[in-house]
Amino acid sequence: MPQTDEPPAANPGRADAALTRLAAPATPALRRAGALSALAELLWAAQAALVALALGGLISGTERLSPLAAAAGFLALAALRALLDARAGALAQRAATALVESTRHRLIGAASRQDARARSPAPAELASLAAEKVAMLAPWAARYSPAMARVRIVPLVLLALTLPFSWAAALVLLVAGPLIPVFMALVGMAARDASQRQMAEIGTLNTLLVDRIAAVADLRLLGAEARAGADLAAASDDLRTRTMRVLAVAFLSSTVLELFSALGVAMVAVYVGFALLGELNFGSWGGLSPEAGIFLLMIAPEFFQPLRDLAAAWHDRASALAVADEIETAEAAIAASGTILGNGAPAAALPPAPFSWRGLVLSPGPGAARLGPPDGAVRPGEALAIAGPSGVGKTTLLAALAGLIRPEAGEIRWGETVLSDSTADAIRAGIGWLPQAPRFIDAPLGEALMLGRAGDLDAALTAAQAQGIVAALPGGLSARLGDLGGGVSGGEARRLMIARAHAAKASLILADEPTADLDHETAQAVLAGLLALRATGAALIVASHDPAVLAAMDRVLPMTAEGGA
Amino acid sequence: MRPLLHIARRLLKAEPVAFLRGLALGITVLAMGAALLGLSGWFVTAAAAAGIAGIGIGFDFFRPSAGVRFLALGRSGARYGERMLTHDATLRALAALRLGLYAGITRLPFEAQTRLRGAEALNRLTSDVDALDGLLLRLVLPAVSAVAVQAGAFVALWVLVAPAVAWGVLLSFGLGGGVALVFTLRHARARSEATEAALQSLRAQALDLAQSRADLAVAGALARQEAGLANTIRAEARARDGLETTERQGSAAIALTTGLAATVALALGGPLAAAGTISPARAAIGVFTALALGETLALLRRGLAELGRMQAAGARVTALSDTPPRPKPAAPAPRPDRAAPLLQVTALRHHRAGAARDTFGPLDLSLSRGEMVLLTGPSGAGKSTLLATLAGLIAPTAGEIRLLGAPLAAWPEADLRAHLTLVPQRSALIAGSVAENLALALPAGTVLPEAEAWAALEAVALADVLRAREGLATRLGPGGAGLSGGQARRLVLARAALRRADVLLLDEPTEGLDPATAAAMLSGLRAFAPESGFLVVSHRNADAGAATRSVSLTVPGHA
Repeated sequence: MPQTDEPPAANPGRADAALTRLAAPATPALRRAGALSALAELLWAAQAALVALALGGLISGTERLSPLAAAAGFLALAALRALLDARAGALAQRAATALVESTRHRLIGAASRQDARARSPAPAELASLAAEKVAMLAPWAARYSPAMARVRIVPLVLLALTLPFSWAAALVLLVAGPLIPVFMALVGMAARDASQRQMAEIGTLNTLLVDRIAAVADLRLLGAEARAGADLAAASDDLRTRTMRVLAVAFLSSTVLELFSALGVAMVAVYVGFALLGELNFGSWGGLSPEAGIFLLMIAPEFFQPLRDLAAAWHDRASALAVADEIETAEAAIAASGTILGNGAPAAALPPAPFSWRGLVLSPGPGAARLGPPDGAVRPGEALAIAGPSGVGKTTLLAALAGLIRPEAGEIRWGETVLSDSTADAIRAGIGWLPQAPRFIDAPLGEALMLGRAGDLDAALTAAQAQGIVAALPGGLSARLGDLGGGVSGGEARRLMIARAHAAKASLILADEPTADLDHETAQAVLAGLLALRATGAALIVASHDPAVLAAMDRVLPMTAEGGA
Repeated sequence: MRPLLHIARRLLKAEPVAFLRGLALGITVLAMGAALLGLSGWFVTAAAAAGIAGIGIGFDFFRPSAGVRFLALGRSGARYGERMLTHDATLRALAALRLGLYAGITRLPFEAQTRLRGAEALNRLTSDVDALDGLLLRLVLPAVSAVAVQAGAFVALWVLVAPAVAWGVLLSFGLGGGVALVFTLRHARARSEATEAALQSLRAQALDLAQSRADLAVAGALARQEAGLANTIRAEARARDGLETTERQGSAAIALTTGLAATVALALGGPLAAAGTISPARAAIGVFTALALGETLALLRRGLAELGRMQAAGARVTALSDTPPRPKPAAPAPRPDRAAPLLQVTALRHHRAGAARDTFGPLDLSLSRGEMVLLTGPSGAGKSTLLATLAGLIAPTAGEIRLLGAPLAAWPEADLRAHLTLVPQRSALIAGSVAENLALALPAGTVLPEAEAWAALEAVALADVLRAREGLATRLGPGGAGLSGGQARRLVLARAALRRADVLLLDEPTEGLDPATAAAMLSGLRAFAPESGFLVVSHRNADAGAATRSVSLTVPGHA
């Protein structure tokens, strides 16, 4: 059975600080929400007083408040309490949503401008962080933080209300109450541990299921469906046993919490009963009235309620801390990586002109030796090959030429225009980009190819001889190529990218190893597509070590490992 | 609602005894809670009355105060037992649900299985199963306990207080609980589905942006994609706000219900006590019990909030678990005809629904024992689809396939897999040891013979690599992580070779291997299974050296 590594235990202090920083903009609203929800909770004291007055009057026979009037007041206060509570909830929820929303905007905004070298956070990591993980901040803000505010206010006020009637009852609460935070600290530690372990366990089960489902076609071909199912059952059972061991601790701690609050209430009830009977003659300031006794009994459970709410929301805090830590790590990684030149926004293309670069010094990645690629230039309609063994930095050079990496020295020109933040978008508007492993966004193929620009896609597909590829797809241009590239091969994807360059009327094509991993016939088709682009007047810069490609170009610019600066 | 009931039944059936015990304890917890507050209220009020009347000395305070302590302790204990029992049972039942889901997925058509492999679909599947863990714990069991305790409280209030108070409390809770339930049922599902859909689309767009960042920047479409994602983020926030509003309104309804019940108990019991029909202490029982009964609804609050998500998840999980069984061919199973070619293909053609041209064909082909036939052709010629068709995973549009003399469709699944095996291009390993991966090739319950395993690993030129590590015990992560692409590929081929099938269909077996390793592997496979026939798809001319002959596929309509 697989042992997924447990998540690295987050440094609690660091995660706390990260969460505080992250939530800073939401703090004022959360404070207001907390105060409002505490106020709602405290209305209970008034409700209790009404009931106590009515019942007390019935006992002594001297009606100070009729039961009907008390009932009406009680109901009105209950409605007001529900209303205030809902308002507090809405306020906290709005703050929580705003927190999630602004964190997402900030993450995405920063990550989308990372340069071509950036490897962290990985795309799947960023997507899951921005989607479900950031969302875990919301329960913390909406539930945990108002519960915390109630814990700070409500027990103290109720204690203050108890004291004038009986110091003994107040003492019971005072002893049981602080014991709970002591246990809470223990519970907190145990529960944090337990929930982290449990999350890892459930994560493992899901990983296992996903793993088997991803392999289900293979399992069928091997006749191993039943066998894998039996494995899955055994693994589930083993994980259940371990999860239950963890839960036994977590439940025990929360049981201690409930026990203390139940005992606190029971002790207040017994004390009040005995005092009213006259069996106990201490603890009150000269005797307890029936009204006071009933009032004390009614507010005792409410004294403990905020602590129970907080314990219930404890898990929300643990998740939020873990997420805050991850967000901080991701944001630091993003801040540490370079950015692209320009904004990646649409711009009017510059007229075709010679494209050149000189004196470039590039850093392919953290820790890697710097590159000093040879100077080069290409005129409209000319085809230039950049040759050299793999790993020599051809891909890095192409990325720099497209303004996706900031060179440490040197300049890149389109005619007289030097590539810079202000000109990058306009220069890129004339560039057609052909990466080694093209990937299409999750949209109908037509849109994934055009990306919102105008142009004649049909004519472009014809020019790139790519109509056959589209014709074989169910739904043609409205087919969606999912994240497993459903339906097109690597060679087909490259031919579709050539069609995109046709449609964009690109005057400079940057292609990275366009024939790598392709069979002879498909490689020929891709090369023909590139040459057809040149025939329209476009310049080609092709990084390759395929002799057939090099032979088809006008000039070859060799790149060697010694070029390092 | 129907799929949810269906799943609830399925979960209950998995662990009926444990759930019943848990339910009994759950009812005990709620009943003790109500009794605790009711008894406390009665004790305090009655003590006050006795104190005023000056008969405090004769008041039996021992039993009520012992009862209060017993109920306080017992309630906590019962709660612990209930939680342990129901959580254990739920984990067991969910394991059964996962297995049912897995079994349903094994019966899906091949194309549907392929679509499920995307990260998106898998993500949704696991979150669906997770969403259902609250179905019994937070919805069904609390609902049943609530009804039982309310019924018990009705009887108790009838006897101890007054029939009018019993009716008032019951009707208040019935009315309030009913309103909360109907309201949530009406709104929660649509809103939670909208939220879920917005979140999925947010994840997909963020993934697109991160993966295609460079491509989008050069195309000048980065800003546009970003704006689209920003809209999705806002839409998700709005959807979530809507969902939370539903939950908050449900909670408010529940809080009001408890307030209403206590009000009714006071308004009905108070005048009765004032008139002397019942004692004030009995009236107090009504008020305090009504307050404690609020717990029955409070337990349901979270379950109600999750109801929408559960409904959607339940519908999807049920649909997958209930995949109909694969059609079985008419008995009796054919017997292998040793004289016939291993595979005989005549005029085979495939057309994908909605496509403008055929995927491949018409094609004639024959494969005999000891042969290795190389299948070549440009990308888009339908080579992989052809192999899937020959393996019986995809139905051909026209033409015939005969395996060992009998039509392919006549072979029962187990016999078909015993005689023929296919190694697809994107073949998956599972998390576990190398031995566990290889053992998948053998019938369930068989122990992997070590010598045979090493012989297969030798044949695919992987034995040395694994000897340098921990041999057959080398552990792999999910999807075979821990091996390089080429090594994983060879392990998959070794696993297929262990099947000792008559026909081996291999899709690009040499991809990612250097020519020397590729040649050694292909000849090694032939030596390992000299009696088998191999049909190998490859685009590498070098592979032709290991083959007995080549067949070339052309793109239909482009020939």
